[in-house]
Amino acid sequence: MQDDSQLVEEEQRFRSLFDNNPDSVLFQNEQSTILDANPASLELLNRRKEEILGRPLSDFLPPDKAVLFQQKLEEAFTGHKVQFEVEVHFLGTPAPKVLDIIKVPLWVDGHVAGVHMVGRDITAITASRSLVLEQAKKLNTIFESITDAFFLLDKEWKFTAVNSEVERLLNISRQELLGRSIREVFVSEITGQFYRQYRQAMLTGEAVHFEAFFEPRQMWLEVKAFPSEEGLSVYFSDVTDKVKAHEELYRQNKDLQQFAYVVSHNFRAPLTNMLGLVELLTSMDKQQPQYDELLQHLRRSTEQLDIVMRDMNTILTIRDQRDVAQPEQVPLAEVVEQVLENLQEMLQQCGAEVKLAIPAELRVRGNRAYLYSIFFNLVSNAIKYRSAERPLLVEISATKDMSASEAVIIVRDNGIGFDLKRAGTDVFKLYKRFHSQPAGRGLGLYLVKNHVDAMRGRIEVQSEVNAGTRFTLYLS
Amino acid sequence: MHIVLIDDDSTSIFLMRLLLQREEFADTITAFQSPEEALSFLQNVEAEKIPQVILLDLNMPVMSGWDLLDALTLKGNTQLNHCRIYILTSSLAQADRIRAEENPLVTRLIHKPLDKLELAVIKAETKGDFESYN
Repeated sequence: MQDDSQLVEEEQRFRSLFDNNPDSVLFQNEQSTILDANPASLELLNRRKEEILGRPLSDFLPPDKAVLFQQKLEEAFTGHKVQFEVEVHFLGTPAPKVLDIIKVPLWVDGHVAGVHMVGRDITAITASRSLVLEQAKKLNTIFESITDAFFLLDKEWKFTAVNSEVERLLNISRQELLGRSIREVFVSEITGQFYRQYRQAMLTGEAVHFEAFFEPRQMWLEVKAFPSEEGLSVYFSDVTDKVKAHEELYRQNKDLQQFAYVVSHNFRAPLTNMLGLVELLTSMDKQQPQYDELLQHLRRSTEQLDIVMRDMNTILTIRDQRDVAQPEQVPLAEVVEQVLENLQEMLQQCGAEVKLAIPAELRVRGNRAYLYSIFFNLVSNAIKYRSAERPLLVEISATKDMSASEAVIIVRDNGIGFDLKRAGTDVFKLYKRFHSQPAGRGLGLYLVKNHVDAMRGRIEVQSEVNAGTRFTLYLS
Repeated sequence: MHIVLIDDDSTSIFLMRLLLQREEFADTITAFQSPEEALSFLQNVEAEKIPQVILLDLNMPVMSGWDLLDALTLKGNTQLNHCRIYILTSSLAQADRIRAEENPLVTRLIHKPLDKLELAVIKAETKGDFESYN
């Protein structure tokens, strides 16, 4: 009696669990026949209990899913608990469901007597999960499709999203950024403009827009940062080329201004002489002894004006050709030898010695005419400003490191030199001169500098009064 | 009257000399094409040879007119106190005019070419000096 009532109680407890279970529960035998079904499962299959009891589950399944359910059932009958997720459209039901299914074997006297199938409807969860995934994907597509680099910072300055343009521009992978604070990733920038601007945006809640130089990548970046509840959205792009072009335009404009100033001055010098001379000539009798001398001076001033005119033409032509001239690999030794050959007579006349140390195979990237002009001007200057106290010695040497890929060319003389401190930044400027004798125009070194610039090289000068001058050229 | 000309350009010197002679401006004309030589002359000049007027060019190699003025100021040449220095330049630059006005050694900046009228003004200015001086 006691045993019986205990049994009845257990049976009732089980029944209650079975009937009230929000998950669907079916009991099947080895032939897949449904022996029992709880109300949740009836609802799932959209059937009444008598419609399904005694029939195989496959009667309610689409054919492709029947195979899967059969497999899993057989697996459970081997004595293992089986779990799987499946999307299934039961026959006679309005919509497919996503189920998380567990098949649990029921052991009786050492063998599996049947299998309980517990199915949890996860359709809604799956749908919202895939919605989230889809939205994340959409967002990601948007992030990736904008050409700007883009990242999101949360209120703790941590990166929460980064697109691949950020990775490309900053040369850093998103794994190195996500979840880390911008202050920790870019420590060196903490005092810089970027952080200051972001901070301002966060504090004031107002968007910021600025251009700044990003030191670690040697880049000018244009940045827009928008604060929000979440933190800060930052868009940026590389504007280095634009900034460089601006700087170049500004520099060229300044150059031209300076050029116009110098030119006007140098036109006016001979012109004022002409004005004065003409004024005197008109009031002078032809018979007077100074008349012829005046005419000579007038001729000389006129010629000077013509020379300035020609200089302008030379300079402007070079400027015009700057961007047109195609660089080539010029054999340096050949060019220098050509220059020396053309200056041979002058070199011999002053008893000069020239020492050359240029590897025969050394080539520099540039323009042959420019290189000729550079060495012609430098050697001519060495001759012109030689010392009367010692025979002229000109040394021209060149080296090119395999690693440096830059040729270093030195032109050195033992002439009268000049006071570099006094000349200051004027050495390569137009119509600047550093010797009163012999007369020069102040054009040579200006042209040299122009040619070197056009070939994207550099030139430096060292000089000591009465000891000599040394020019160092760096060409690629 | 003693006048000193400092200009690296020989035509300029020739022109000024001719004009000065025609206008009978000075008894003595001393011309320097090298500003360094002019400087050393002015620094060592004997009292009776101190010029009353200097015409100074600006744009010269090695030592510009400004450099020369700086060198004179540095030495504190008191013997030049009663000498009028005129800058005579072909430069029309405003910067040069301002700089001339600011330099206490400089009486005035004159644009080249020098002419009769300008010489007459200079003469009047120096004459005033003599009268107040004597």
